This record gives sequence, structure tokens and C-alpha cells, in this order.
Amino acid sequence: MSETKNPVEPESENLPRLVVLLHWLLAASVFFLFISSWWMLSLPLPSAEFTYRELPFQLHKNIGITVFIVVITMAAMRVRALLREASSPQGWLQRLAVVDHLLLYTLLTVCCLSGYMSSSYSGWSTTLWWLVDIPSMTAENDDLNILFSDVHLWSCWALLGLLLLHIGAAIYHGIGNDGAIDKMFRLR
Amino acid sequence: MKNEIAKANVSWLAIIIMLFGLLLLASHSNELLKQKVIGPGSSADLGFAADCRADELEEEQLSLEECQLMVSNVRIILSSSPQWYRSYQLTLSSLGIAATLFSLVTAFSLINRQSPELRLAIVSSALLLIIDVAGFVAAVNIGPLLRAQYLWPLLLWICIHLCMLVALIRFGQQSAMDS
Repeated sequence: MSETKNPVEPESENLPRLVVLLHWLLAASVFFLFISSWWMLSLPLPSAEFTYRELPFQLHKNIGITVFIVVITMAAMRVRALLREASSPQGWLQRLAVVDHLLLYTLLTVCCLSGYMSSSYSGWSTTLWWLVDIPSMTAENDDLNILFSDVHLWSCWALLGLLLLHIGAAIYHGIGNDGAIDKMFRLR
Repeated sequence: MKNEIAKANVSWLAIIIMLFGLLLLASHSNELLKQKVIGPGSSADLGFAADCRADELEEEQLSLEECQLMVSNVRIILSSSPQWYRSYQLTLSSLGIAATLFSLVTAFSLINRQSPELRLAIVSSALLLIIDVAGFVAAVNIGPLLRAQYLWPLLLWICIHLCMLVALIRFGQQSAMDS
């Protein structure tokens, strides 16, 4: 059997189990946030009579805050290794992979923070998982609400584009069978 | 060489099961949320007029007509849903979430071990296909305004799960012949 060296040879050691679990939790949460937000923005605007948006928006904010915590945890565990990879000699695909990961962490953080700021300036309160009141940082301000809402919108579109690149890369590794996909499924 | 191809097939299948599984999980969860939020007897059903304040319209970048149609949109859902539909969808979405989680677990098992997990992956794909067909049959029997929203995505999911099921069965047969 001939051994063919793959041009994209990812690091062979397993990832920490927590990182693997958080990665999939994050993926499920982000997909749900996208799909549910497209639907919930078609619901009637809130008023005393129309409260259709109450549950979906609270859920969106709860999951968003949880995603923020997960992203910070993952970044703390992974950024040093990614920067080490970036500084070592490697091909353009591996450099692209490092940039993709760093940009994903950055955009996820911007999406979560801009969403929180927009909510904070909108004057609506947030209770994390209906248990803990999250204080608004500021008083209601329509202009800043619209500004952060725009940042939230565009950073989320950019995130979606980057996610498609990430998924494409996962399929590339899956077909190439270079061990990168196996690492994301190993829990031992 | 054959082993390498078989291993590549497993990695490829696992990533496809995971990708579509996560999308389906989001889709079923959103359907559950939809059915929870939009119920009979809610404000749109009682005929309240839309509350479209100018500041809210500017904030959401909506026209007055769009704001009013948002209430009509909810009325369409309510008037196109037969009495049995909401509880049926709540049950089907919950089953869909459970079956999807099961398929995600089988994707992990495919990578970590092999042959018995392939059978589990076949069972989970068959379950997902049955749930899609059950959803499609229900959608055929609801009002035309709501039916139009459901039929096409359901047909797409049926095709995706059919492809996955056939790929898993064929891969299982090849593995059995090779061993």
C-alpha cells in the first residue's frame, strides 16, 4: 500500500474533549439562532396586544449570551495553539485555516456583543434563561440601538459567509481523509 | 487502499450526517417554537389591528403596509391550520428533535468505531425519512396558504435523507463484502 502525503496535513494530536463538545454545541446554537431569527423578525411588532415576539427574542438573547460564554471559553483554550500554528512554516491552506478560525472567534464575539448592546439601547430587559437579570448598560437610545442593530446584522451576514467556508473546508478534509475530521469527533 | 477508501467514506458520511443533522435540529426546534408562539385564540386571531408606530417602523426598516401584513401573516397560519395540526406538529417536531439527536450520536459513533454503528446510522436515517414523510402527508392536508410554505422544504429534506439512507446502506454492503 502506497503512502501518499496529503498537501494539507493538520496536527495529529487529539483536541481536548471539552473543545470538541463546545464546538458542536456552538454549531447547533448558531444554526438555530440564524434560522429562528429569520422567522421571528416576520412576527408582528410588539405592543400591549401583540406579544408574539416576547418568547423568541428572550430565547434568542439567552442563547446569544450562552454562545458568547462558549466562544470566550473556546478562544481561551485554542487561540495560543492557533497562533503557534500561524507562526510555524506551512502551506497557504493551513494559514487560511488559522485565519478562518481566528476570524470566526472574532465575528462570533462581535455578533454577540453588538446584539447585547442593541438590546441594551432598545430599553428591553434581559433575564438570562429566565433566572438572572442582566442589567442594561445604558439608558434607551434609538440611534445607538439602530447603529448596533446594523453592526449585529452585518457581522452576522459575514459570519454566515465564513461558516460556509468553514463547512466547505470540513467537507474537503472529510473527502481527503487527512485526520482533521476525526479529531472533531473523538471524545476519548 | 480499500481500507483507506472505506475510512474516507466514513469521514465523509459523518460530516454530512452532522451538517444536515445540525440544520435539521435547528429547523425542528424552530418549528416547535413557532407552534408554541402562534396558537389559536391569540391576539391576531381576535382581530386586533396592527400597532405600527413610526419610530418602530424606522427602527425595523419597515413600511406601514409590511407592518400590517405581519399580523395578516399570523392570521394566514391560524386560518390555514386545521384543529389537529398544532398538536400534530408539536409532537412531530419533538420526535424530529429526538431522532436528529440520535443521528448526531451515530455520526460520532461512525468515527469512533465502525460496523454496528453503521446499522444505527441506517436506522436513524430511516427514522428521519419517516418523520419527513409524516410531515409531508400532514402538510398536504392543511390549507393552501400554509401548505405552500411547508411542502417544498419537506420535499428537499425527504431527498436529503433518502440520499443519506441509500449511501449508508450501500456503504454497509460494500464493507460486508470487503470483510
